[in-house]
Amino acid sequence: QERTITGTVTDEDDLPLPGVNIVIKGTSTGVQTDFDGNYSINANQGDVLVFSFVGLKQAEYTVSNNDQIDVVMEADSAQLDEVVVTALGIKREKKSLGYATQEVGGEAVSDVPQQNFVNSLSGKVSGLSIKSSGTLGGSTNVVIRGNSSLTGNNQALFVIDGTPVSNLNTNSSDQRSGRGGYDYGNAASDINPNDIASINVLKGAAATALYGARAANGAVIIETKKGSKKKGIGVSIQSSLTVSNADKNTLPEYQKQYGAGYGPYYGSADGYFNLYDISKDGTLDESTPFTEDASFGAPFDSDRMIYQWNSIYPSLESTYQEASPWVAGENDPNSIWQTGYTSINSVALDGGNETSSFRISGTHLNQQGNLPNSKIKRNSLKFSGSHDFTDKFSAQTNITYTKTDGKGRYGTGYSSLNIMQQFRQWFQTNVDFAEQRRAYEATGQNITWNPNSPSNLSPIYSDNPYWTFFENYETDTRNRYFGNVNLTYEFNDVFSLLGRFSFDTYDELQEERINVGSADIAKYSRYNNRASEYNYDLILNFNKDITEDINLDGNVGFNLRRNERNSIYASTNGGLNKAGFYALSNSASPLNPPNEYEMTRMLDGVYARAGVGLFNTYFIEGTIRRDRSSTLPSENNTFYYPSISSSVILSNLIEADWLSFAKIRGNYAEVGNDTDPYNVFNTYTVYAPFDGAGVASNNFTLKNPELKPERMKSYEFGLEANFFDRRFGFDISYYNSKTEDQITPVPVSTATGFGEKLLNAGTIENKGIEVALNINPIRTDDFNWNINVNWAKNENEVLKLTDGIDNLQLASPQGGISINAAPGQPYGAIRGTDFVYDDQGNKVINSNGYYAKTPNSNYIIGDFQPDWIGGIQNTFTYKNISLGFLIDIQEGGNIFSLDQWYGAATGIYANSVGTNDLGNPIRNSLSNGGGIVLDGVQGDVSFNPDGTYEVTNTSSNNVRADYSTYANPFGYARAPNAQHVYDASYVKLREANLTYNFGDKMMEALPFTRASVSLIGRNLWIINKEIPYSDPEAGLSSGNVQGYQSGAYPTMREIGASIKLNF
Amino acid sequence: DEKYEDLNRDPKNPTEVASDFLFTAATVSLGDYMASPNVNEPLYRFLGQYLTTTTYLDEPNYDFTARQNPDAVWSEYYRDVIFDLQDAKRIVMENPDLTQAEIDARLGQLEVIEVYTWHVLVDSFGDIPYTEAVQADEFPQPKYDDDAVIYEDLISRLDSANTLLSAGNGYSSADVVFGGDMDKWMMFANSIKLRLGMRLQDANPGLAQSTVEDAVADGVLMSNDDNATIEYQSNDPNTNPLWEDLVQSGRSDFLISETIADYMNDLNDPRRMVYFDENVDGYIGGDYGGSNNYGSFTHIGDPFLDPTREGILLDYTEVEFNLSKAADLGYNVGGSAESHYNNAITASMEYWGVSDSEISDYLSQPSVAYDGSVTQFATQFWIAMFDNPFEGWSTWRLYDAPALNIPSDSGSDVPLRYTYPVDEQNLNNTNYIEAATAIGGDDTQTPIFWDINE
Repeated sequence: QERTITGTVTDEDDLPLPGVNIVIKGTSTGVQTDFDGNYSINANQGDVLVFSFVGLKQAEYTVSNNDQIDVVMEADSAQLDEVVVTALGIKREKKSLGYATQEVGGEAVSDVPQQNFVNSLSGKVSGLSIKSSGTLGGSTNVVIRGNSSLTGNNQALFVIDGTPVSNLNTNSSDQRSGRGGYDYGNAASDINPNDIASINVLKGAAATALYGARAANGAVIIETKKGSKKKGIGVSIQSSLTVSNADKNTLPEYQKQYGAGYGPYYGSADGYFNLYDISKDGTLDESTPFTEDASFGAPFDSDRMIYQWNSIYPSLESTYQEASPWVAGENDPNSIWQTGYTSINSVALDGGNETSSFRISGTHLNQQGNLPNSKIKRNSLKFSGSHDFTDKFSAQTNITYTKTDGKGRYGTGYSSLNIMQQFRQWFQTNVDFAEQRRAYEATGQNITWNPNSPSNLSPIYSDNPYWTFFENYETDTRNRYFGNVNLTYEFNDVFSLLGRFSFDTYDELQEERINVGSADIAKYSRYNNRASEYNYDLILNFNKDITEDINLDGNVGFNLRRNERNSIYASTNGGLNKAGFYALSNSASPLNPPNEYEMTRMLDGVYARAGVGLFNTYFIEGTIRRDRSSTLPSENNTFYYPSISSSVILSNLIEADWLSFAKIRGNYAEVGNDTDPYNVFNTYTVYAPFDGAGVASNNFTLKNPELKPERMKSYEFGLEANFFDRRFGFDISYYNSKTEDQITPVPVSTATGFGEKLLNAGTIENKGIEVALNINPIRTDDFNWNINVNWAKNENEVLKLTDGIDNLQLASPQGGISINAAPGQPYGAIRGTDFVYDDQGNKVINSNGYYAKTPNSNYIIGDFQPDWIGGIQNTFTYKNISLGFLIDIQEGGNIFSLDQWYGAATGIYANSVGTNDLGNPIRNSLSNGGGIVLDGVQGDVSFNPDGTYEVTNTSSNNVRADYSTYANPFGYARAPNAQHVYDASYVKLREANLTYNFGDKMMEALPFTRASVSLIGRNLWIINKEIPYSDPEAGLSSGNVQGYQSGAYPTMREIGASIKLNF
Repeated sequence: DEKYEDLNRDPKNPTEVASDFLFTAATVSLGDYMASPNVNEPLYRFLGQYLTTTTYLDEPNYDFTARQNPDAVWSEYYRDVIFDLQDAKRIVMENPDLTQAEIDARLGQLEVIEVYTWHVLVDSFGDIPYTEAVQADEFPQPKYDDDAVIYEDLISRLDSANTLLSAGNGYSSADVVFGGDMDKWMMFANSIKLRLGMRLQDANPGLAQSTVEDAVADGVLMSNDDNATIEYQSNDPNTNPLWEDLVQSGRSDFLISETIADYMNDLNDPRRMVYFDENVDGYIGGDYGGSNNYGSFTHIGDPFLDPTREGILLDYTEVEFNLSKAADLGYNVGGSAESHYNNAITASMEYWGVSDSEISDYLSQPSVAYDGSVTQFATQFWIAMFDNPFEGWSTWRLYDAPALNIPSDSGSDVPLRYTYPVDEQNLNNTNYIEAATAIGGDDTQTPIFWDINE
């Protein structure tokens, strides 16, 4: 029966240890010691109490008759007991590993819970690059040790309790390259942060070799919380509520001095206004140039009465046919941002008996977006159970069901469904968006500031944003089941057999709407997708101490993986007949055939691993795996790959008091990889018939019946050490990996009849250094200060493509730039038009005062790879209070801003007004003393056919460039693309939390065994960044197209509170 | 392994189709590109200065880089048209259900569309990949051939096509141009030959004359009933591309250009009633290449807003203009330069539904009555090519008339050719540099070989 066990925990010097974690083994039930090292916990006889404290050896004590258990914890000089979960769920002693892994506890993602737990890992693991796209429920790019594949998947693999879960997104290629669409997020976000017990990041190919190719990008191994074999039911509750608001630093700042227009191009005397008889008094009135989505118009003048958008809609009775003062809109677009909130509530029950245990948890997440009519809801249920049938035969299962519903996700990219397209690129500063809201709310119509004309009120480019929110919204729902069943049979102390079936299956529906009356063609589309993955594993494990000094262990296994996908996308054609009715049957024109996709792919693999440990000091292991894949041509579909890794515990060889632990490690690994289905045989695409005649065309891609597997070769060295009773420690790795024979759709001259050809082409090299530091500057009875530093520098270079192909374009988004892979360049080189520089590096300026620019857009003007990334986590503990904060840093990398590219031309930003060297407004015409003198030199430029150029006759520049219209020096009309390539560096206060743990005395008065409350914050402060008006992290979607912003959303600063209770 | 390989065959996309499917697809694609006003496509309606835009000015100002139009032109013609046609040839030749005569006739139809497309490519760029083109496995980086040499080959291919077309019955339901009327296919082939011959009038007068005379002897289009057009359908995606950008898009981007409005106003041309809308008082074209307010300028006429409006590949009007010039040059084509000139204008006006009396009034105007001047001839030819804008642009290039406007915003000269695609610089660089050097620089002001200023 349950009893209260008490005791004191001390160190070897007999000093009491506060903050020692005491957990009943196999459960999440636990307590901490108080300042005097005392603890009290309810446990049953037979329960095992696990005592752990950083830097000390973990200790276990079984509860017997005695109600008092005093514990002396020893310094952990060799970290002998630390066990981590590695590939395929195999548990290993960390010291024996010859490769880098880095663990974080479940609290890293559950203390400040996120809709997508992956975002919480940013800055916490060295070499793990996390970048979220910045939209509600949007996807997160997770890359470990750089991009290793040219066009394939570069995302890390997620494995939950042994079940592989893909992190791919189902976003369209248009969405991913900035052409518009919604970011539906990626699959890892279906994992509930409160269920996570620990996360172990396997970084290199040697660490993941047994998973085969799919984990060549590294793997994130997640263990969830499990029940314990104790009687009685434990209950834990966690609740958090965060509110979010847009960080003003990541929103545009608008100029308030000039209104609508591209310049003085219209009918009025000053050229800034159109003339229509809007008041119907028989005389022409000055009216806003409604069609012009720019703000290079007339200077504001509150005495000047202009007929504006609100004067032409008869349904706006109070302002119809009324002029209004020509002033900046009182409520600029930033006023539309609302406070959003996220609540996450979860309850978990766990319990068991001598032979069984279970844990069941339910979580409800409700996220209200920061734009009207946007929200995400997620409900998940998770069950874990285990049962020992006999001493030798046991079963375990984990099953999770998640239902996610989204509504009003934010439109992305260059699309009218992305309201940031108007707010960052194309709009009129004279518009008051609170008035736009009232107009929509009062009429329910798309009353836009941007109609065709006073007589044709339909929108020309931009809709009323509130119309977009409430009429042109998407909805989506995803039902997902994943989990596994494990059967283990232990033949004896040496051999055991594991059989595992795991599954991950989801079906989703994404519905998109554009109502009649929008600028875009009315539309309803639906995308039904069903995807499944099944894995069958059989693993024979052995572990034998041959002598006291020699240990042998290993595994032999078989894996069969089957992936299925079945999807259909259908859309109305040519508009909708009935407004507001969203069904395929409402299509204005006959439907075109839906797009169907169906595939099954299979891969079977056999593998073996064997390791030897000598004197608990020298470790060596080797693996080999053979895969056979259905996606490769049958002659080439079988491939083998090996790995070997080794470690030596140096601290066992060096006697030194100051050295707590030291290990050196090294490995070499190869990993083979297959490809996507349908890359072998050429096919035709069949289209809707033309007047009854069948229509088919060849595909864009020339397939290849001679493909062979890709191969990644990597080596790695590492050193980890701890000093002075673990007051200081580091883990440093150097790695080098080359991915060769990449299966790449290589673009070819379209004069070949194809746009691209699939080849085994291309090698990418990633090499880098990762450092993790752990510093414990202050450790006293009451006060503890811990610093974790993660730093990683990855150098990425495309070594070669195929002969004759000197560039691989990954995407060519709007704006005339492209994202590329080219030999000698890092993956993700940004190409576009560049400035022209003279020998001294000065920008050359044309005789009209504008920058000279290159004639072609294939000049390299940046790349999206950062120089390094890092994070600094500080944790202060004083008595029952702990304070933690995380600084997250990226240095270098570039981003092209389409927002600035267009916005500089439309004159919406605050930096487009000011005075020049003469003290005149820069926007005055040149004849009126306006314009600006650009930095640079005058000179003559002559270009050669190969793109090089010579600059001659340079002289100082004193020509003022016209700044009075959209064709100013900085906008898309005149500037080179390079003008709007920005440094993507940032320093952020990413996360902070302040936690109070209720002490024992208070606990006695409360019905809890453990309780804590926390104040939490995320994205609190961008300490430093270079790009104006946006967050350098904001992007389009996860995937290979990064370094580009179009209609970027602001970053949400989240502040909230969370409470954890255990009964 | 066999089971694994079967999994790798796409159940939703076939590995073989009938050649009919490809012939239809290629022909419709060609028609789409010739007709489209879209700023992402070939920009013929701007190159001919028939249309201009309201706000977005890059394309009417001949900025080819913003949307990489040359890349689009290149890939559309090579990949979407020529490759599908060549693939169709391969398939039809292996079709055991057809007689040799049926196969030959089909090859002839495929060949005519292919030659047409090749000539559009040459006329757009100059030297282009030809002998090594569309063979991805063998020539991933095809070399460029000399444009004049390609022209000679195209002319001889049309001779062979004529023989093939006369062999028997070709495609009928898959033939969206003539519905299987082989006589009209032969007239179409000869009319293309007439066009090519006329292009050579300055560059290679001897070949020009023999080509034109051969074509006329073999029989060119005789009336508007013979026009080579694509009958677009009322439902997307088979509509005229004009409808997609002017009507379906719901946008208000395109205006009649002042270039054509001014010329037609000067001539008091009755076709204005058809070409132009009556949305403002009089016919006021937008400032070519400048910022224009949509409501203040003339829009395109109603017939062009019809999704089923036919797309013109080559029409009888053009044939008569070519015959007029041929007669003027002393080629043996029958008739006089003046009679063909009058026939041409009459054919155009009849096509657009202008009444007989208006036609005769127009022809009798001093400014219109045939005077033998190149300017008058080319102006009339250009006006008549309003809905065949590629030919309108080519007319201006060949005859250096009528004078077109310098676009207001950029001040760029009207292009004489497209620059080569950016992708060629990246993907086929060695051959690109060779070709750029051979033609005298990859610039819009480098003329096509037949564009010799006299």
